[in-house]
Amino acid sequence: MNATAPATFYRVFALAVLGFIVMPLAVIVWVSFFSNKILSFPPAGYTLDWYTRAWERPEFREGLFLSLQTALFASLSSLAIGVPASLALTRYKFAGRDIVTNILLSPMVVPGIVGGAAMYIFYIEFEVATEVQVAGTLPGLFAAHLLVALPWTIRLVTASLIGIDHSISEAAASLGAGPVTIFFRVVLPVIKPALIASALFAFVASFIDLEKSLFLVGPGRTTLQIAIVSYLEWNLDSTIAAVATVQIAIIAVLLLITNRYAQLNRAF
Amino acid sequence: MAMASVAPSLGEATKMPDWKPPILRSPAAALLAPGVIFVTLLLLGPLAILFRYSFNRFVPGELMVSALTLENYIKFFADPYYQDVLWTTLRISALSSGICLILGFPVAYFMVRLASSRLKAMMIVALVLPLMMGNAVRTAAWMVILGERGLAASIVSLFGFNGRLDIMYTEKAVVIGLVSVLLPFMILTLQSVLEGIDRSLEDAAGSLGADHVRILWRVLLPLALPGILAGVLLCFTLSMNAYATPVLIGGPKFHAMAPEVYQQVQRAMNWPFGAALAFILMITTLVLTVGATALAQRHYRRWAD
Repeated sequence: MNATAPATFYRVFALAVLGFIVMPLAVIVWVSFFSNKILSFPPAGYTLDWYTRAWERPEFREGLFLSLQTALFASLSSLAIGVPASLALTRYKFAGRDIVTNILLSPMVVPGIVGGAAMYIFYIEFEVATEVQVAGTLPGLFAAHLLVALPWTIRLVTASLIGIDHSISEAAASLGAGPVTIFFRVVLPVIKPALIASALFAFVASFIDLEKSLFLVGPGRTTLQIAIVSYLEWNLDSTIAAVATVQIAIIAVLLLITNRYAQLNRAF
Repeated sequence: MAMASVAPSLGEATKMPDWKPPILRSPAAALLAPGVIFVTLLLLGPLAILFRYSFNRFVPGELMVSALTLENYIKFFADPYYQDVLWTTLRISALSSGICLILGFPVAYFMVRLASSRLKAMMIVALVLPLMMGNAVRTAAWMVILGERGLAASIVSLFGFNGRLDIMYTEKAVVIGLVSVLLPFMILTLQSVLEGIDRSLEDAAGSLGADHVRILWRVLLPLALPGILAGVLLCFTLSMNAYATPVLIGGPKFHAMAPEVYQQVQRAMNWPFGAALAFILMITTLVLTVGATALAQRHYRRWAD
């Protein structure tokens, strides 16, 4: 920037916009400590009671556990499926590679609500045909969340595989290393940071999923996001702020760890 | 398992990097199969079923009767209520992606021109963290701010107004919520494109006497056009399909497409109509996206000449 005026303008503008993005989260964390029974500003005082109250509500407690469990499953299984697929996409040239890539990334492109509706109807039709219940069950939810996580894993892992210098693998091969050895001794150490980053990122992506889960939760089996939305449809108080704060803390920690292993903006 | 079966051929490919095998004989097939089968079985197949169901007939007592009729689509376009839902959704999406562009471009430019890479990395964290906090929590935060006794109302009352803002449950509030949710997407998209524009171009234009506005208009914007288009289309698509923001900030009287799909499929159990809604939503978004891209490309060529 050559003149001082635009430089100042950009700085002030950027700070204001960043504030607009971050401020709401700061506000809800602040509200979670308000002592007022009815939400109002400024607070009469501060308390930690809302955290106890949130914990006493089964939908939040169980929702949190279910979400953590589902996200863990989604993250690990998406590595198991996504890493081999990413290897194939980056290592081999074959006809139809673009189509395959598009198929694998399609869960990110198809709107969550449409994908959720399609899966829900498929689950029910499957149940009608086989008498095996899927909708509202844990495996049904797990499968949907694996779908949410998979494209993120593939994106992040292929991005790191593309950056690999293949001559190292070739050198290892010429020295007699087998493909399995090459993968575990040469490729894996190089992409390990990306694997950790993508596992964490996929975990978060599954944890915050709302639209796909909407259709697939069952009675007594609600993810945290759905519990939050259903609570908000009727109430707005510091209980929900406490729940939100816990979620903000969990995700912030996970993403800050992710940030140590990969540039966060690589995922977008 | 897939790893083991593929292992021997990895070495082969290493020796012959340009060898192009037919997909089914390729070791890639075994590596890709689990993912491709899973996505096809669980998403693409069900989508095809959903599409087929959109031509079925809904009979209240029997739920769904197999048919091949366009009546669900006709019902949508004949009913002023649903036309209004679609228009509302299009309006809030266009508005929020436009505002995102105006607010986001200067921020992206600021980030790209930051001398300190540490500060840049911090800004990226400050953008990605809110982005991944989940729409439920971010919408909850806006409800606390915009609500009847919320932060905005009490700040307004400090300046002598009576403290009633009446913004909650309005279209304005929905757009504010959407903009806040989508801005990080816009900024990150623009930033990655602006990053690729050579700074010396600006310096050259500046040394030839162009002021900052002129440089922005004649050098930066044309070069950033692909990124602008990508960012706008991303924000547009995401707000077309938004669920939490319209439901919670818009309230029970605000109707957008995604909540309506949920309502029909899950609550009313009217699968054929819900399926038609889902495909009208997807096809509308797709047509507008493709149209905008074609239009921009034509414009781009003219601008380049």
